[in-house]
Amino acid sequence: MVPAAFFLLLLASVPIALVLALTAAIYIGWSGNTLLFQSFPQQLYGGLEKYGLLAIPLFMLVGELMNEGGITKRLIALASIFVGSLKGGLAYINLVANMFMASIIGSTNAQIAVMGHVMVPEMERRGYNREFAAAVTAAGGLMAPIIPPSMLFVIYGVLAQISIGDMFIAGILPGLLMGALFIGVVALMGFFYEYPRGDRMSRQEAWRALLGALPSLSIPVVIIGGIAAGIATPTESAALAAVAAIVVGASVHREFRLSQVPAMMTRLVANSATVLFLVATANVFGWIVVYEKVPQTIAAYMQSLTNDPFVFLLLLNLLLLVVGCVIDAIAALILIVPIVLPIAVASYGIDPFHFGVVICLNLVLGLLTPPVGTGLFVAASVSGCKATDIVKPLTPFLLATTLVIVLLAWQPALTTLFIQ
Amino acid sequence: MERVRSFSARVAQVEMAVAAVLALAIAALILVNVITRSIGQSVYWVDEAAIAAMVWMSFLGSSAAIHYRTSVAVTILPDMLGNAGRAGMQRFADLVILGFAIFLAWVTIQWFDPINLVATEFSLSDFSGSTFNFIYEEQTTTLGIRKFWLWLIVPIFCLTISLHAVVNLLTPPGNDPAALPSD
Repeated sequence: MVPAAFFLLLLASVPIALVLALTAAIYIGWSGNTLLFQSFPQQLYGGLEKYGLLAIPLFMLVGELMNEGGITKRLIALASIFVGSLKGGLAYINLVANMFMASIIGSTNAQIAVMGHVMVPEMERRGYNREFAAAVTAAGGLMAPIIPPSMLFVIYGVLAQISIGDMFIAGILPGLLMGALFIGVVALMGFFYEYPRGDRMSRQEAWRALLGALPSLSIPVVIIGGIAAGIATPTESAALAAVAAIVVGASVHREFRLSQVPAMMTRLVANSATVLFLVATANVFGWIVVYEKVPQTIAAYMQSLTNDPFVFLLLLNLLLLVVGCVIDAIAALILIVPIVLPIAVASYGIDPFHFGVVICLNLVLGLLTPPVGTGLFVAASVSGCKATDIVKPLTPFLLATTLVIVLLAWQPALTTLFIQ
Repeated sequence: MERVRSFSARVAQVEMAVAAVLALAIAALILVNVITRSIGQSVYWVDEAAIAAMVWMSFLGSSAAIHYRTSVAVTILPDMLGNAGRAGMQRFADLVILGFAIFLAWVTIQWFDPINLVATEFSLSDFSGSTFNFIYEEQTTTLGIRKFWLWLIVPIFCLTISLHAVVNLLTPPGNDPAALPSD
């Protein structure tokens, strides 16, 4: 009865946040334990009373400020110094610039929207196939929540009650690995697509691009440096990065204007409230899940299948790939973590940081797969392609990401190496 | 009806504006924290204030999202249906949202228990003594105010989402509320 209500509401396009809250309410009514109703509003409020969650609006603010302050295009110019002269140069530039951007923006959809506006028309103008351009941009966006900072890691860190700073550090190697593999994929796809020649920058142009991008690079340095050096919490580093973005955008690039603030804040509130309210209702949902001992039941079943942590992770990944295809990554993360994290840590001895990176990357993959791949639809709407047409050139990147997930599941050191 | 609709739109605008100010306040408070701590003069209530601002911002923004119909939902089924089916499903979702608003209002009234509060003539010790409900006596950790002032966002949220849900329900399909101001 309760799972049926959950799926009915979900399919009837009721807002996901309310589906979670209502499922919990229906469960309470169905179980007859109506005393729990009294704690319902308090659980809803309490789900948001977590310091780590402050990082979400702040990192979104950094992304907005960066965009308004002309930082994006300078990072793209910086990427062209390194890979611009290669055949298919713009495709590589797209990926490398996406890696830079990922070290500032923490959300796949936001990054695809930002980069899609700039890169897809530019690649098309230079003779690339539009669908291919949209696919490379969308794939680049996959790195946003893995290369720190990351919205998903913040939420995971809050749910798992582990250090968000260490979670960010755990994402560095997997993010670089993804970047390297994606560059390899573009090189391989060169056998099937006719890439235009790249442009070699003159020494003067390269020097100008490097100097122009240096102030922008201060932002990831503030974020990662602040956390790694222990000067600031991830939340505080986001606030400091916002100041850096304002200073760079307003006084160095002179592109940030106060008149842009109202529209920017509207977008910020709309986006962060959506995510945070999901966290609030998921808290109510998780409270019921734990009350009903769902993790223990699933743990017993999983242990009857395997005792090997790697096999467990592979099985879980298969399940999450299906979940990620139908539910948005953040909502899925919020739903899944309270159920599976206790099993992973207590029954299989998996490190929570390792586990977090694997499941976040898996769920991010779902952002680019139909039918609920929101990232795919963002890429489609920004580029003017049909979502279904992007899927074909995107597939090699999705396979490469799957390979990274399996590698990470197999080798925990790829995530935990730098965590003390 | 038109007046109710424009009232709902006005409320959503106010919610977005207040939420935007709170979002700026969060950034400012966290910066104050970094600065004051670096000079050894930590202000102890800043974190709790920033968290309260975030909670209020989230509730206000989510309520406005109901008005603008921008909440995240799974749209596989409506996408497969024709216009009539989609409109019917939208009606159903609107009805569920209104149902949620009424449910939340019901449990929130039990939580704030205004009837017993009046019956005990606003004596907080009598109220908690007779109901074992300590909502009005719980203190914030560092802000120096009682917690229920912060919790008041929940009943406010109940009122505003009820208003938005009713207006959405009565708005003919295809005649959606205004888009977000930045669109």
